Amino acid sequence: MDTVIQTVDLHKNFGRVRALDGLDLEVRSGEIHGFLGPNGAGKSTTLRILLGLARASSGSATVLGRNPWTDAVELHRRVASVPGDVNIWPNLTGGETIDLLSRLRGSTLDRAYKERKRHLSEIFDFDPSKRGRAYSKGNRQKVALIAALVTDAELYLFDEPTSGLDPLMEAVFTREVRRVTRENGATVLLSSHILSEVEQLADRVSIIRSGKIVDGGTLDALRHLTRTEISFAQDSVDTHALATLSQVHDLTVTDGRVKFGADSDRVHEVLPLLGNLGVKGLLVSPPSLEELFLRHYGDTVAPAAEAADDGDSHHRRHRAAAQTGA
Amino acid sequence: MIWVLYRQRLRRDRWQLISWILSIGVLAWFAVEAIGKTFGDEASRAQVLQLATATPAILVLRGLARGPQLDAFTFFEIFSFIALLAALMNTFMAVRHTRAEEESGRSELVSSTSAGRWTPLVTTIVHGLVADVLVAVATALGFMGGGLDPAGSIVAGLATGAVGFAFLGVGLLAGEFFSTSRGANGISSAVVMIAYLLRGFGDATGQVSTDGMTVTAAWPSWISPIGWGQQTFAYTGNRLWPLLLPLALAAVCIAAVVGLMERRDVGASVLAGRAGRPDAGPTLRGPFSLAFRLQQGSIIGWCVGGLATGILTGSLGSAIQASITSSPQVTSILRAMVEAQGTSMTQLLVAALFEIAGILAAACGLQAVIRLRQEEAAGTAELVLSRPLGRARWLGSFLGLGAVSMVLVMLFTALGAWISLVASGDTSSAVGDVWQTAIDQLPAALIYLSLPAAVFVVWPRATIAAGWALLGVGVVLGIYGGMLGFDQKVRDISPFTHTPVTTGAGTDWSGGFWMLGIAVVLALIALVAVRRREVGTA
Ligand SMILES: Nc1ncnc2c1ncn2[C@@H]1O[C@H](COP(=O)(O)OP(=O)(O)O)[C@@H](O)[C@H]1O
Ligand SMILES: [Mg+2]
Repeated sequence: MDTVIQTVDLHKNFGRVRALDGLDLEVRSGEIHGFLGPNGAGKSTTLRILLGLARASSGSATVLGRNPWTDAVELHRRVASVPGDVNIWPNLTGGETIDLLSRLRGSTLDRAYKERKRHLSEIFDFDPSKRGRAYSKGNRQKVALIAALVTDAELYLFDEPTSGLDPLMEAVFTREVRRVTRENGATVLLSSHILSEVEQLADRVSIIRSGKIVDGGTLDALRHLTRTEISFAQDSVDTHALATLSQVHDLTVTDGRVKFGADSDRVHEVLPLLGNLGVKGLLVSPPSLEELFLRHYGDTVAPAAEAADDGDSHHRRHRAAAQTGA
Repeated sequence: MIWVLYRQRLRRDRWQLISWILSIGVLAWFAVEAIGKTFGDEASRAQVLQLATATPAILVLRGLARGPQLDAFTFFEIFSFIALLAALMNTFMAVRHTRAEEESGRSELVSSTSAGRWTPLVTTIVHGLVADVLVAVATALGFMGGGLDPAGSIVAGLATGAVGFAFLGVGLLAGEFFSTSRGANGISSAVVMIAYLLRGFGDATGQVSTDGMTVTAAWPSWISPIGWGQQTFAYTGNRLWPLLLPLALAAVCIAAVVGLMERRDVGASVLAGRAGRPDAGPTLRGPFSLAFRLQQGSIIGWCVGGLATGILTGSLGSAIQASITSSPQVTSILRAMVEAQGTSMTQLLVAALFEIAGILAAACGLQAVIRLRQEEAAGTAELVLSRPLGRARWLGSFLGLGAVSMVLVMLFTALGAWISLVASGDTSSAVGDVWQTAIDQLPAALIYLSLPAAVFVVWPRATIAAGWALLGVGVVLGIYGGMLGFDQKVRDISPFTHTPVTTGAGTDWSGGFWMLGIAVVLALIALVAVRRREVGTA
């Protein structure tokens, strides 16, 4: 089977709020698919529909060739997931929770399982003998991640999986997700509101905004759309040569720092010149989702709920735009 | 700062407090009206009182007899129940604003501001004090509204408020010991029930005057705050000094709380959670065992309550048997009061007290459904339901556990009664009948499993409030309905009204089968409908 997830014209309304407004998403077999969008865009709602926890108002969704609402139980044997907001039982230990969730998936807690669990706990630096109420947000997240990764699945659905994790653990997660796709040929759908997070992992991305897919494709195509912000100390460096490069945009000098944007897919072409100039205090910031939205959709990140055109949200959008522009 | 926090609490609590306080006031007023109607003249009240003092079982559920005048008689009939309500109002309130806040992490926000760590405690005490003053006013007005003597009514009101305040202290202290609001609520409710039963035991074993009109309570009443409230002898003695005892208890509890709080971190508790195991044991393997694991604390609590009720029933049995054989007239009127056509007084007593145990069983089952809702609201249901587990099986497991725990509560009740009856040397058939009587309570209790389950499926947000409200209405109509003078048609709404009664002549289970049928149908509706329902967190 080539397509693992397919939604066509998916709608979901919560009263008057349109969480999904005609979402067409396609995820192919064996890929890591980034599902990118600002807070409130409808990522969690989509994933909950794909898991059969919520029901679409209209439109169709197919997961592994089946209807997630009617065939939820069969699908859950083949799908592993991490919810957007992980909550665990306060009086069960992390280890007990992981074991219970695995048993519910039908795993027997044999030696191989125990070894995998021990290994995951170790690389995630996780103590499974504490009670749920004693864990921080990051540790609760680890419980759900380990429970998802400890058993094999054909499809993994991760909703903002790295929220609350420190960068070191993010790297561990990235490695483990690569492992499951490489070793088992699994498909992964990964939602995030941070561009750089998805960038490291995803083969393809879909960008969601106000309940609709507004863009998608390979990461290279996406990089083309974004600019990386580069800045360094002015220190009487002659910036003339830089300003004339076609990859460099909006070069400014403020507060003793030179600042410009470079096309993300051509940053490497600018770096040699920076080296020649001998710049100090170099800072390269990856492009942000906000910046992408601002530049390509003429709009900054506005949650679906606020999309209604009242004066207040308008005002806020304006201010956010001004800040990003400065 | 205290004022800011206090206003926020008033806003959060207003409807809840208004309903507690109004219920208490209205109950007082209703009681006077109903008693005035049922036992209009002093002679009939004197007769009833004589029977009551000769029958400890009645005293357990009533109070301390102080003569046949309408006002003293009303105080005797209703005060212990009103005080029980005031006590529960206070323990829930104390836990809600202290331990529950800490558990949710909200109080960390408050204690890191200029409010400091003491502000929530002080605010809760002020909040409780104001609420208890209002309870006192409502009770006094309720009694006065029914036409009772104002001075005595004020004393009765003060007694209710003071008992309530003592339990505010108990609730605050419980909050220090347990790290969860559930644990704190469970233990403080248990303390309230024990206080109620202790004074019941003290009243039932007290010294009866020769004319049978007054009782001097035995020592167990003197270790119960509700017993202290009764010692005011409202209307007949109007003494206020016994109220120093509940106030002193509140002060001791608060002092202990302050001492414990100085020694601990925000969020910690005296009874810390045990260090856990890194792997699940062999028993934690599915939705049923998860439900058991989540509910075991409360199941144990309700079973202990059942056992205590059973032991109380049995230990009163022999005393009654002795007093009844001597007076056939007592027997006949008593039967009318307990509303059962039994042949043995022990059977009547068992039937009456097991109904109370039936409420415990119902509450225990209800909590299984409430847990289901809490699982959904907390988001842990989502974890379970994104595994290969149908929603119907998930709901069914919690219902199954609820049913099992109800059976356990009644089993422990019967066991307690059986042991204490056998120990007292009772050889009548009533001893064997305790098992049957325990089963008799199950049909009505099961309604409180499947009715809230149906509510949970169609209107999840209302589950908790509707569950307790339905149980409250059922208890008031079904068990206190006769005393409060409700019409039979109204009383028939309550499942408890239809509880079968086991007598020497056998058991009429027609009402029981109806309740069973309704419970099964409601459960089936819930199980079918839940498949079509989304899993939400809101
Ligand atoms: N249960 C719900 N009830 C009402 N509105 C909801 C509910 N769940 C989500 N929404 C709304 O739907 C929109 C999409 O939310 P969500 O899918 O959680 O976004 P994301 O995960 O991308 O941050 C938001 O505007 C949110 O407020
Ligand atoms: Mg989300």
